[in-house]
Amino acid sequence: MREPWWISLIKAGVIVNLIMLAFAYTTWLERKLLGRMQNRFGPNRAGPYGLLQPFADLIKLVRKESFFPVAARHPLYIAAPIISMFTALAAFAVIPFGAGWQIWHYHVNGEIANVSIALILIFALGSIGVYGAIIGGWASQSKFSLLGSMRTCAQLVSYEVSLALSVLGVVLMGQSLNLVDIVNKQGATIWFFIPQLAGLLVFFFAMIAETSRPPFDLPEADTELVAGYHTEYGGMRWGLFQTAEYINLITLSALAVTLFFAGWHGPYAPLGPLWFLLKVFIFVSVFIWIRASVPRLRYDQLMRFGWKILLPVATINAVVTALLVVWIS
Amino acid sequence: MLDNWLPFLIYAIFALIIPASMMWFSFVFATRAHKRTRWRELPFESGVSTGPPRVQRFTVSFYLTAMLFIVFDIEIVFLYPLAVILHQLAWFGFLEFLFFIAILVVAYVYVWRKGALDWQ
Repeated sequence: MREPWWISLIKAGVIVNLIMLAFAYTTWLERKLLGRMQNRFGPNRAGPYGLLQPFADLIKLVRKESFFPVAARHPLYIAAPIISMFTALAAFAVIPFGAGWQIWHYHVNGEIANVSIALILIFALGSIGVYGAIIGGWASQSKFSLLGSMRTCAQLVSYEVSLALSVLGVVLMGQSLNLVDIVNKQGATIWFFIPQLAGLLVFFFAMIAETSRPPFDLPEADTELVAGYHTEYGGMRWGLFQTAEYINLITLSALAVTLFFAGWHGPYAPLGPLWFLLKVFIFVSVFIWIRASVPRLRYDQLMRFGWKILLPVATINAVVTALLVVWIS
Repeated sequence: MLDNWLPFLIYAIFALIIPASMMWFSFVFATRAHKRTRWRELPFESGVSTGPPRVQRFTVSFYLTAMLFIVFDIEIVFLYPLAVILHQLAWFGFLEFLFFIAILVVAYVYVWRKGALDWQ
């Protein structure tokens, strides 16, 4: 269904700002939940329940002194965080969050862009996002940043393989790379997390590693190493990397909800986007819960887990799904 | 079909403006230092100024991981189109799928036995 370009424009503006808001309150939620799980309060000074904390953080980061390492390669040093965040934000464009609405006599789609290669687009943008880390680490011209960026890069590409392979079963069952089609298919038949439980588990672990969240937060490992590829970044420039990480978390959670939990489908159809939001919220909370409960892996354990466990499981899952799909059809 | 990409383009412009403006804010609203010396801007770790790295050489494990990634990621890119139409190709498609995976498993077992999957 076509919609006029100005509706796309308004929708893009609204959605992009909603994602930024969601990011801001994910940081708040994370600190609050972590605080509660560790038997303390978490942020509670700025506003009621610390609700203004994200804005206080924003002001603090923006006000920080603009500060470069002497040897930094300036254009790239500045471009790296922008690349990171651009890819993180852009990936959300193809995720459907509603059934589409008829407002007056204009049709409004329930997603920003309905493209036939949505899934490949998301993975492609994720791959470009790795450049943010590599360029950032290299352009800082510091030994530790450089090593950190290599570490990050090796982790991200290792888990990208499992991430991409784990959704092959969903593609086989949904018979499309278009996320709208996949969601509709789930609405018509069955939510894919039931037949694709193995795929969901692999996707879940790979997703934690891709967003470098604990227990796979080796790119940062703040209690053991220097921060990694963003060691030489400060203020809002560091903030951009951090924002990219959280938005990646939100986008990948939304992707998981779309692929395995039927996106916006729920008991009462007109509440579509609300169901979508609720599922993404649950996913994000589970990530925070895991962060509070599990200790960090060692680097060789991380690599072994990715290559020797996730990859074979994802492959077997794909083969079995292919067999069943052919058998039934 | 190409029309579907217009909303993506519009959205992508927004997705670029937001980080770019945040970057710009970080220059405009930054607090100015009273006194700036060169030493403040040197990269350091635990009080030791190390300066930029002179020789850029890495453990071979990083290269190995990158190569493995390329091999397996291309394999997956090949599988995606097949997965979309596998229900139409039926058993022929499935056998081709198995054949493809089988060749890959040989390579995977070889890589595993060589110890390339262990981080050193």
